[in-house]
Amino acid sequence: MAPITPFSASEIAEKARRDLLLLLEGIRGKKNLVLEKALAGSVNLLVKSSTLQEYGVDKFFFLENDNVNSSQRNVVFLVRGEKAKTVMAVADQIKRLRRDSQIEHEFSIFWVPRRTLVSDQLLEEAGVLGEASVSEWPLFFVPLADDVLSLELDDAVTDLYLRQDPTSIYLAARALMQQQQKHGLFPRIIGKGDNGKRLTDLLTRMRTEVTAGDASSSTSPSFLGLAPSSTADSLIIIDREVDFPTVLLTQLTYEGLLDEVFNISANQTEVDSSVVGGAAPQPGQSGSASTSRERKILIDSKDPLYATLGDSNFAIVGNLLNKAARRLQSSTGRDQLAAKTTAELRDFVAKLPGYQAEQASLKLHTSLAEEIIKYTHTDIFRRSLEVQQNIMSGLDPTTQHDTIDELINRDVPLHSILRLLCLESTTNAGMRPKDLESFKRTVIQAYGSQHILTLSNLEKMNLLQPRGGSGLGATPAAKPGSVTNYTPLRKSLKIWDDEVNEAEPNDISYTFSGYAPLSVRIIQSIIQKHTLANAIKPPSDPRAAAQANPLAQGLRIFDDASKYVRGATFDEKQTGEEKAIKARNMLNGSHNDGAKTIVVFFLGGVTRAEIAALRFIGGKLKEVGGEGERKQNCGVHHQHNQGWELG
Amino acid sequence: MSKPTANWEKLGDKFYRKIQLYTAVFDQDLELENYNAVGAPYSGAVAIYRDENKITTYRGGQANKASIDIYSCAGKLIRRINWDKGTIKGLGWSEDEKLLVITADGTVRCYYDLQGDFFPFTLGHGADEHGVQSCKFYSSGFVALLGNNNLISVSSYTEPRPKLLAIPPAEPVISWGIIPPTYSLSRSVEVILAIGETLYVVDATEAENRNFDAGPFRHISVSPRGEFLAFYTDDGKVWVVSGDWSDKLSEYDSKVKTVPKDMQWCGSNAVALAWEDEVHLIGPNGAVTKFYYDAWIHLLPDVDGLRLLTNDVCEYLHKVPDASVEVFRIGSDSPAANLLEASSLLDQKSPKADDLIQLIRPSLAEAVDTCIRAAANEYNIHWQKQLLRAASFGKSVLDLYSSDDFVDTCDTLRVLNAVRFYEVGLPVSYEQYRRLTPEKLVDRLTNRNEYLLALRVASYLHLPTSHIHGHWAQQKVRVSTDTEEEICALIVKKLHGKPGISFEEIAHAAYDEGRVRLATELLNYEPRAGKQVPLLLNMKEDNIALDKAIESGDTDLVYHVLLHLRKKLPLASFFRVINSRPVASALVESSARDQDHELLKDLYYQDDRRLDGSNLLLSQALSSPSVTSAIDKLKSASTYLKDSRDSAATFQRHALDDAQKLLRLQEQFEKDLGPRDGSSSPSPGGNGSSFVGLSAHQTITALLRLGHTKRALKVQSEFKIPDKTYAWLRLRAFVAARHWTELEELGKAKKSPIGWEPYFNEILGAGNTRVASMFVPKCTGLSAAERVDMWMKCGLVVKAGEEASKAKDRALLEEVSAKASGSAKVEIERLLGMMGKR
Repeated sequence: MAPITPFSASEIAEKARRDLLLLLEGIRGKKNLVLEKALAGSVNLLVKSSTLQEYGVDKFFFLENDNVNSSQRNVVFLVRGEKAKTVMAVADQIKRLRRDSQIEHEFSIFWVPRRTLVSDQLLEEAGVLGEASVSEWPLFFVPLADDVLSLELDDAVTDLYLRQDPTSIYLAARALMQQQQKHGLFPRIIGKGDNGKRLTDLLTRMRTEVTAGDASSSTSPSFLGLAPSSTADSLIIIDREVDFPTVLLTQLTYEGLLDEVFNISANQTEVDSSVVGGAAPQPGQSGSASTSRERKILIDSKDPLYATLGDSNFAIVGNLLNKAARRLQSSTGRDQLAAKTTAELRDFVAKLPGYQAEQASLKLHTSLAEEIIKYTHTDIFRRSLEVQQNIMSGLDPTTQHDTIDELINRDVPLHSILRLLCLESTTNAGMRPKDLESFKRTVIQAYGSQHILTLSNLEKMNLLQPRGGSGLGATPAAKPGSVTNYTPLRKSLKIWDDEVNEAEPNDISYTFSGYAPLSVRIIQSIIQKHTLANAIKPPSDPRAAAQANPLAQGLRIFDDASKYVRGATFDEKQTGEEKAIKARNMLNGSHNDGAKTIVVFFLGGVTRAEIAALRFIGGKLKEVGGEGERKQNCGVHHQHNQGWELG
Repeated sequence: MSKPTANWEKLGDKFYRKIQLYTAVFDQDLELENYNAVGAPYSGAVAIYRDENKITTYRGGQANKASIDIYSCAGKLIRRINWDKGTIKGLGWSEDEKLLVITADGTVRCYYDLQGDFFPFTLGHGADEHGVQSCKFYSSGFVALLGNNNLISVSSYTEPRPKLLAIPPAEPVISWGIIPPTYSLSRSVEVILAIGETLYVVDATEAENRNFDAGPFRHISVSPRGEFLAFYTDDGKVWVVSGDWSDKLSEYDSKVKTVPKDMQWCGSNAVALAWEDEVHLIGPNGAVTKFYYDAWIHLLPDVDGLRLLTNDVCEYLHKVPDASVEVFRIGSDSPAANLLEASSLLDQKSPKADDLIQLIRPSLAEAVDTCIRAAANEYNIHWQKQLLRAASFGKSVLDLYSSDDFVDTCDTLRVLNAVRFYEVGLPVSYEQYRRLTPEKLVDRLTNRNEYLLALRVASYLHLPTSHIHGHWAQQKVRVSTDTEEEICALIVKKLHGKPGISFEEIAHAAYDEGRVRLATELLNYEPRAGKQVPLLLNMKEDNIALDKAIESGDTDLVYHVLLHLRKKLPLASFFRVINSRPVASALVESSARDQDHELLKDLYYQDDRRLDGSNLLLSQALSSPSVTSAIDKLKSASTYLKDSRDSAATFQRHALDDAQKLLRLQEQFEKDLGPRDGSSSPSPGGNGSSFVGLSAHQTITALLRLGHTKRALKVQSEFKIPDKTYAWLRLRAFVAARHWTELEELGKAKKSPIGWEPYFNEILGAGNTRVASMFVPKCTGLSAAERVDMWMKCGLVVKAGEEASKAKDRALLEEVSAKASGSAKVEIERLLGMMGKR
């Protein structure tokens, strides 16, 4: 509808792809490619490895393995240049090759997403800067689906909340700024959380820097570029710190559980081939013919079957699969017999590849679902889910301690235990110091003394803390705004829903079978006021117009709620010169009042279930208000275990 | 007005014209024959320097000073660069008018503006040893030929990275040429060397003999777009070959004995041979035309033509554009020619004008287009006017005609005429202007300090003017003799708030000039931290630099400053600087964690962060190779916390002491029991061979599996592990080790701290229904239905039936019956019957 769709995923993917291939083309002849592991997923997602081979890439190596050999004269490093550690690794390997190899190598380094001063400085000190030709691959956003972009920064959570290193905020700001320059400013930036505030400030700052910096294009395009966009409505920034419990809970959508069981990274997951069968490469499978026991599976939102499955609650996935199987059977089976005329036959044959693909995808997802069922039927899973549900619905958490103790005794993986403990701590503003200490002792006894560090890191991130903050002294007694208080929120935002309907969801609470993610509720309180107001306080007269609900006025729900939520609240308007706005409106013509995009940015990661919930809201808005809605979930997705086991 | 065709020469079926750009170019005293002249592309500046191979008359001290003189095409001296750095072996221009000077020892100086500022770099690869022989330049790089025939290519001046090309044979090179990367097939620079009788083509990877045995070749020249190659043989012939070597296109015999001093392409369709005062222009199929001069002549090739330079004149020789031919050719009856005629008739108020227009009516639009194009390519202002007037006249007759081209051409011509003016001396042709782009033209004007004209042109063409202002300001801070306050005030007044102005560059210029205070002052107006920080560091304003870096949010900048400071400052002052800046200390901590534990230790000590310090020691303990050193580290981690009183520290000390105790115990066990039996199924967490490194729970499990109950109990009491936990551990250890008898033994106990249901579940999970069933009757806390289910799971249907009948639950019994079969069925039926009776 809109003339220029802001944040077009395919456009971003295509640009990133072209940039990379252009860089590779610039190096003549065959080359060995050394990748940072964290980048492998993104690269694989953007460019098929067969394409890379066409562009002269001979062998792939991981930087971490430090095993690049001298089989090719050209050696290309593709690494992130923000951390001194990786820079030094690159320098060391160049030095090693130069020392050991018989032939004279040509080194190239592609920094992602930018060439840093530090990298130059370190390479120069190591004496290799002159050896390598350095360029940058400006990869900021990696599109994971048509409506999901991610920065794919694996370390973001550790950096942000444990080490207080704001690199990822800066990169996020750069990424958003890039889009703003292309599509215009977000007319409004609103959100919650201290780091979110920092991001907003950076965006404002960058705006002035860009105005000052861009000499070459102070002509019309950028002049327009820095006027408010007419296609984007607002940018909502949610700092992960605001709502940790959502990440700690077990996601109950199909995609969420896939993530829990098999761990999705950059839209790909590795599944043991005994589960899904190694044969018959799926269309989604990556081109590399790895014969290992692990098989790579691409989570492809363009697969029609998966599109229906992914965001559904797992409880109904079985039914959906059944239905799909039956439909497929009837369309292939009966048609085959009924097809009499050649024309019909031709039609049928033309559709065959589609059926085959669908069948393959059906087979794949059925076996995945079976594997997940195996997992969800274990006693341990049920017990821990029970604890989660009880805590979220507001039961006294101390009643759950026995179960947690038992789970520890049964030696379930540590991260499940930590998730439960942190969940209790974060939802109740800390644990009773005595309980906390006894749990800490048990964990150390059960899992080893190295986890003294794990626990200490969790405490530093405020994921696990004694109530009243008497412990570390780092958290003085719950100041308003320093901790998210769930008790009032449970009511004012209705984050617990007893009448959850998983089959035909009427509220986002279906994603966790009862708990409505706080992060998404906050977003709802901004963009979907009426629905939310009615959900919280159902009007006595169902026919009373939504406007009558006093909660729906202005930003009341948001303001009310943010009092209890940790971190700074911000709401900035970005305006431009009037001339520019007029010009843009004229250019875009009547589309002005058409669909507008709301961009949601999760700083510090998002879970698959939250994405599902956002899509659900998007769908609802389209139905009700005719207001088109696309959401972007940026930042790093899903980081359950990050930063915990730092030994 | 002279006819426009007056300076045309016919070459085959094409016309060439020689346009006199400027006269009285050089001082008559300048002996041009003793100089080399090199012109920048797109009619840029001309650099001349003394040819050292020529003998010159000695004229006293002052004239003898070597220099490189940069002139405009009109002979105006732009800059004189005094040269005392040795023999110039290569001198050339880049596309953006950077002057490159290469000396015999391989030192390159890149003069990036026309003001004499330069940055040097060296070629390396043995250039200093073998000496540079000569150099060939293209738009963005050059290739140098060394004494040992090695070739070194530099492909970018922003980050020069000299690369050695493949090694050609070592015989003497007679002549050579290059194909620029943009036009070569391999997309990298290719070099053609004439060695002996043949030609070699050299690129980055190989040197290939082309077996072209008509040599030796005295001159090699590559056409501007690389589509043709021209060779001059020893016997006076010119060969033209297509760029891919596939076709030999023409051969021309000059029948001259003397080898010409130069051979250059004139555009892409003709080759010019130059002797001292004579130029032959050779077209396709051996067509030739000759020009004679009365002074020494230099050829300056350009993309679409050739500049000819003598002491007196600067001329431009190029192929007459098709549009001009169409309009002006004698006897032309093209519509455009008629239109021009009609327009001049109109001026004379002759009625024939209309007749002519009617005659060409059908192709009038085309005629107008042609006139516009011809006007664009015309140098003579009179004829420009005539042609545009004709076009305008034609336009007015047409009903529908888009005037964009017309307006565009008028604008362009205005600019071109302005810059061609002799005081400016940029005789850019229309074609060159299109390729150069207006922005670059403005840059060239700026570099010549023609600020007013540059500003006028820029605003006339709606181009950004920030760069011009910036350049002006830099020049101002360099040369102005006003006080610093005045300069600053003037610059700020003129430039503040204008978009795109880089105050950093201006400040940098000021700093380079030694005006530090002015630089600091100016830098305050720079909004971009990325620009401020490096200069601030240069200026030793470290603290300000750090603050600005933090403000920018760009961690890269912060790291950059921190690295700098770390190297410069003693540790204590370094900590003092970062202490008051939380972001900085977080970053130091974060990067030290990866690299520099000593620094981290000092940092924690300095800040009195006991817990963190102890954690650091703990992490070292975990990675230490031997148990003894691990215990030592743990001990020091614990003593580190000795003075802390708060609960977290106490807890940590306790945990650390426990860890030491555990390690000692484990060491003891290992001594007593020998290495743990590795053949048993993988134990929880451990690697199956050693006790060390296991957690307390895992140690108990391992001991139990090996049957050392006493020792396990010792560990339990030592660490105050609750009975419940111990019971669980024992159960799971026995099940994992398949110690069924021990489990049965356990079942004889009266009570279990965890109830009996876990026993049933775990044992059943391991597949032993017999032992599992033993625990069913003990689960008294469960309902009958659950117990029935348990019996069923063990496959003991009859027992299930008995359980149901004991509970007097008929429905339950019937359920059991439905699942039963064979003899069990009979038994269940009996029980059902019994129940029925009652």
